[in-house]
Amino acid sequence: MATLSSLNLVTPRAVASVPDSTKAGPVKVSCLNQPWKRVSQLGSRRMQVLRPVRAAPDRISEKVEKSIKEAEEACSGDPASSECVAAWDEVEELSAAASHARDRQKANSDPLENYCKENPETDECRTYDN
Amino acid sequence: MAAVCTVYTTQSLNSSCSISTPTKSHLGFNQKQVVFYSTGKRSSKRSGGSLITCSAGDSQTVVIGLAADSGCGKSTFMRRLTSVFGGAAEPPKGGNPDSNTLISDMTTVICLDDYHSLDRNGRKEKGVTALDPRANDFDLMYEQVKAIKSGVAVEKPIYNHVTGLLDPPELIKPPKILVIEGLHPMFDERVRDLLDFSIYLDISNEVKFAWKIQRDMAERGHSLESIKASIEARKPDFDAYIDPQKQYADAVIEVLPTQLIPDDNEGKAQPSHGFHAEGSSLALTLASNSPTALTVTSAMRLDELIYVESHLSNLSTKFYGEVTQQMLKHADFPGSNNGTGLFQTIVGLKIRDLYEQIIASKAATPLEATKA
Repeated sequence: MATLSSLNLVTPRAVASVPDSTKAGPVKVSCLNQPWKRVSQLGSRRMQVLRPVRAAPDRISEKVEKSIKEAEEACSGDPASSECVAAWDEVEELSAAASHARDRQKANSDPLENYCKENPETDECRTYDN
Repeated sequence: MAAVCTVYTTQSLNSSCSISTPTKSHLGFNQKQVVFYSTGKRSSKRSGGSLITCSAGDSQTVVIGLAADSGCGKSTFMRRLTSVFGGAAEPPKGGNPDSNTLISDMTTVICLDDYHSLDRNGRKEKGVTALDPRANDFDLMYEQVKAIKSGVAVEKPIYNHVTGLLDPPELIKPPKILVIEGLHPMFDERVRDLLDFSIYLDISNEVKFAWKIQRDMAERGHSLESIKASIEARKPDFDAYIDPQKQYADAVIEVLPTQLIPDDNEGKAQPSHGFHAEGSSLALTLASNSPTALTVTSAMRLDELIYVESHLSNLSTKFYGEVTQQMLKHADFPGSNNGTGLFQTIVGLKIRDLYEQIIASKAATPLEATKA
């Protein structure tokens, strides 16, 4: 049972798809049959659990690029139209968001600093006055 | 096109900045008793309204408003301000990773974009910008800032700047100091009346353009034309809804373009004696009642800042060198070497001073009440 519950943590979706896992009987957990997959699954899962992922700057950059194209199109008819103005406002909003995302990435570039922010009590994060 | 090129070459643009306190010049930048007097006046105005607000007593939150257009240094200013109060400001732990809120021991900074009533699609459909009051829910903004100010936690919406959608709300507990930053902290009269102190970052169009070139030129899809087009398209709404808030601000940080030495195209550092001369004139104007308190017209070098600091008075520092220490701590922030960083830091110290005086006057009020 102990093994089972630890598996539950690793692959919650696989367990959820089993109709009633409390009943005794064969439990179909995919990683039991493919143990080599377990390590990588655990790895990727763990990354997500430790640090909620903010939007990557790349993703926002794509949006910035797209919004500029859209603004240029929206303004091709009447540059003073409200569609045109709103479209350029969207460009500004996304450009600012992209810049903030870059700043954050810069600020969070040290893995030890990041780890210690969340786990200040651990040995490797201890600081001494003298 | 010539105009564009001229501005483009001003990447090493020297900025001349000045802090002015337009209407209430007595409010934060003069002798302590004056500040004390003005806060006293404000609180008596508040309690003289109808009922005496004895809500939550001394736990009441001090509310500060910071208004500026997008891309004018609000985020940098917030980082400098929260640093003055000590401790790092972080997004809420375990919350929405795209939250706009920053929390430190003393301060909570909320972004007023969270009060957008129209999300990105809604604005697109209706053809309104985020600058337009119609895209913002001032009723909710007022209700929630009022609640926090009186010690009540609120479920504040989150505007997601990546998706352009409104995310599920987050819980905001009343901090010691609440900063509301965004496009419209002083637009709505009800919200404005809740502010204990307000700041407007007044960035001239030329400087805005230069800053946005620095910010966006590396971004794919952007060009000088797109940066210019965006500023120009937003300008009518900016002039109509954002700029007028300046008149209500307790402090205005104005950044104007200057070319100090016209022939100095390499952007060499200014001679330090000129720098010191500026410093001493600063001290004079800071102590006087003139509306323009402080002007820096020079590129600044952080390694010489301590000399400037020694020429300044009335900085509200707790120890000699505190301004320099704060500036060196964030040397990588934008504006560290052109005066804007210095101004932001000084305003941060003034806000800390104001906060401490409000707390002190609150502690004194109950005594007076029992006497009477």
